[in-house]
Amino acid sequence: MQGFCMAAYSTELPIRPDLDQAHAEVASRWAKTGSWWSGVERLAIVEEVRHARDSAEIAPWESASEIEGIVSSDHLLPDAAIDAIWRITNHPGTLTAEWHASILGRGIHPEAYVEMVGVVAQANAVDRFADALNLDRVELPLPSSSEPDRTSDVSLQVTSHWVPTAQIKGPNVLKALSAVPFENETLSILSSAQYVRLGDLLSDLVSNQNSLSRLQVEVIAARTSKLNECFY
Amino acid sequence: MSQDSQVSFEAIDNSESGDGGVEHGALLSRLCEAMFEEDKDQLASVKDKLLDAAGVDVLIDAVAVSANFYMMTRIADSTGTPLDAGTVEPSAEIRELVGVNSFTSRREAQK
Repeated sequence: MQGFCMAAYSTELPIRPDLDQAHAEVASRWAKTGSWWSGVERLAIVEEVRHARDSAEIAPWESASEIEGIVSSDHLLPDAAIDAIWRITNHPGTLTAEWHASILGRGIHPEAYVEMVGVVAQANAVDRFADALNLDRVELPLPSSSEPDRTSDVSLQVTSHWVPTAQIKGPNVLKALSAVPFENETLSILSSAQYVRLGDLLSDLVSNQNSLSRLQVEVIAARTSKLNECFY
Repeated sequence: MSQDSQVSFEAIDNSESGDGGVEHGALLSRLCEAMFEEDKDQLASVKDKLLDAAGVDVLIDAVAVSANFYMMTRIADSTGTPLDAGTVEPSAEIRELVGVNSFTSRREAQK
């Protein structure tokens, strides 16, 4: 992590400094100009994740953008992005290749989709941590004002995943966001503080991770994944 | 991970079946359930129990791990990430034990 970030949380709970800093750093990255979405749009994605989580649940097949009163009429993001954010946030276990294709068919560029997924997933992690410990959610910084390049990387290919990926080695889940390296870096920042350093993921299965044994960590990881109906 | 410990997978499947050989396994599993259900009373109760049993550092770290997997699951399932080739057969028994084979999100790498 580069530079100094304000603390993410103001609390008497003894949150590890590296964990607090990771959340502060990630919040600042949300506000930066991405490859496909501006800083303003990226923060709007985070706000929409919060809205999706805090609102009454809608069925996975329903489109939030089409239900009157759910989404503000002057929302910044495309309707397809709104609907994707709601479904990924609240019903991730229901996603299919056909659904993904339908989102792209409504005008979301494949790599823009990947960047959006990164931000949505990160926001879910950071906010659920805060909510579970009754902390105020991280404050969102002011957005960067520059516009994204929106230039497609011709080396990317759709091979093993629904989304285009870079030709990199390693577990498939670490390839998933490889089309947008900035989001893969954010994933690494969060995972290292919240879970296990990615370099130790498969190479060190015995060391304690902060106050937890590796076994305890994996029970929590697996239970949470099962509750979210994630096969991977 | 001790070579002498017997570990099973009950706590992954649900919190009612015991620790599965993992210290505080059932409580940690219940914490995950409470976070998922977002039931304030349930969450408060299990957090208090975990605090008493294991301390505040364990509570915070456990919440952090669980939160991380709200991220990882969404990345995997939004991008169509398949199970890694070479892990399908070794994981077959575990997948059956914890009951994940019927998930919509089941995707296996093409050989």
